Amino acid sequence: MKIDKRNKVSDEIPTSSMADVAFLLIIYFMVTSTFAATRGLDFALPEQEDNPPMIEKEESVLIEIQPSGQYVVDNQPMQLSDILDYLKPKLERNPLKPVIIRPDPAAPYGYMVDVFDELRQGAEKGVEVKNISIPTQREIEAFWY
Amino acid sequence: MNLRASKTQDAVIPTASMADVAFLLIIFFLVTFQIEVDKTQVELPKTDIRLEVPEDSAYVSVTESGFIRVSSGEEISVQVPSAEEVFSMASSVVAQDPGKAFVLKADRNVPYRAVDEVIDALKRANVRNVYLLSQQEIRDSTGGGSSGGGGQ
Repeated sequence: MKIDKRNKVSDEIPTSSMADVAFLLIIYFMVTSTFAATRGLDFALPEQEDNPPMIEKEESVLIEIQPSGQYVVDNQPMQLSDILDYLKPKLERNPLKPVIIRPDPAAPYGYMVDVFDELRQGAEKGVEVKNISIPTQREIEAFWY
Repeated sequence: MNLRASKTQDAVIPTASMADVAFLLIIFFLVTFQIEVDKTQVELPKTDIRLEVPEDSAYVSVTESGFIRVSSGEEISVQVPSAEEVFSMASSVVAQDPGKAFVLKADRNVPYRAVDEVIDALKRANVRNVYLLSQQEIRDSTGGGSSGGGGQ
């Protein structure tokens, strides 16, 4: 019997287009993925207590944020960068002095974060603010007056 | 002078390992890929202190117009009509995992009232750890940085 061997089939797997396919997949992943913001300021909420410690208004420092973004610290208008200097002597006398941030309901949220960030940075600048409180409107109505 | 070319070299770029490199890159992307549970577009506030948010945190996002979206961290976020829904979602999440971290992704221009309602709902639901999602603050070299009452 005569076996014809003229039509010899190559026994190689064609891999030359593999790189093209792989790079297409890479481009697809790069285009569809977004840069997710995964960092932020941590903000520990107080535990719910039946008898929360009452803080006299006079004992604490009150930072109010007006709708325009102006900061008013203990009834004095103040620049963000001056707040830590104002707090320094008070915190030296009483390191646990509470600092209350009270944004106006109409003030943009960003200003609250700015002042919170500034107070948290105090530790690096030698003014560690240990007791930062941001009461909610409901708490203010329930306990403030 | 003998200018005869003794050898001819093939002008071929070796591409056999290209696929290996490409597949390694794909595997890298697949391994580092994190499913983003909340794709709400917001303009985040800028801060200097930025800590890494724990993986699988629950998300609450507040857009500039005050719309709230929530996600327990396992599925894609859904819009809810009010902060009261945040309270019920947070309560059920905290009941399962009391130490669960919540990420508050709020637009920096949203009136604080909307954020206040969300924080209040989280407080009532006994949430312990909240992260205020932010972007890196970039200061100029003169050290001026953010200016008091002025906006950014």
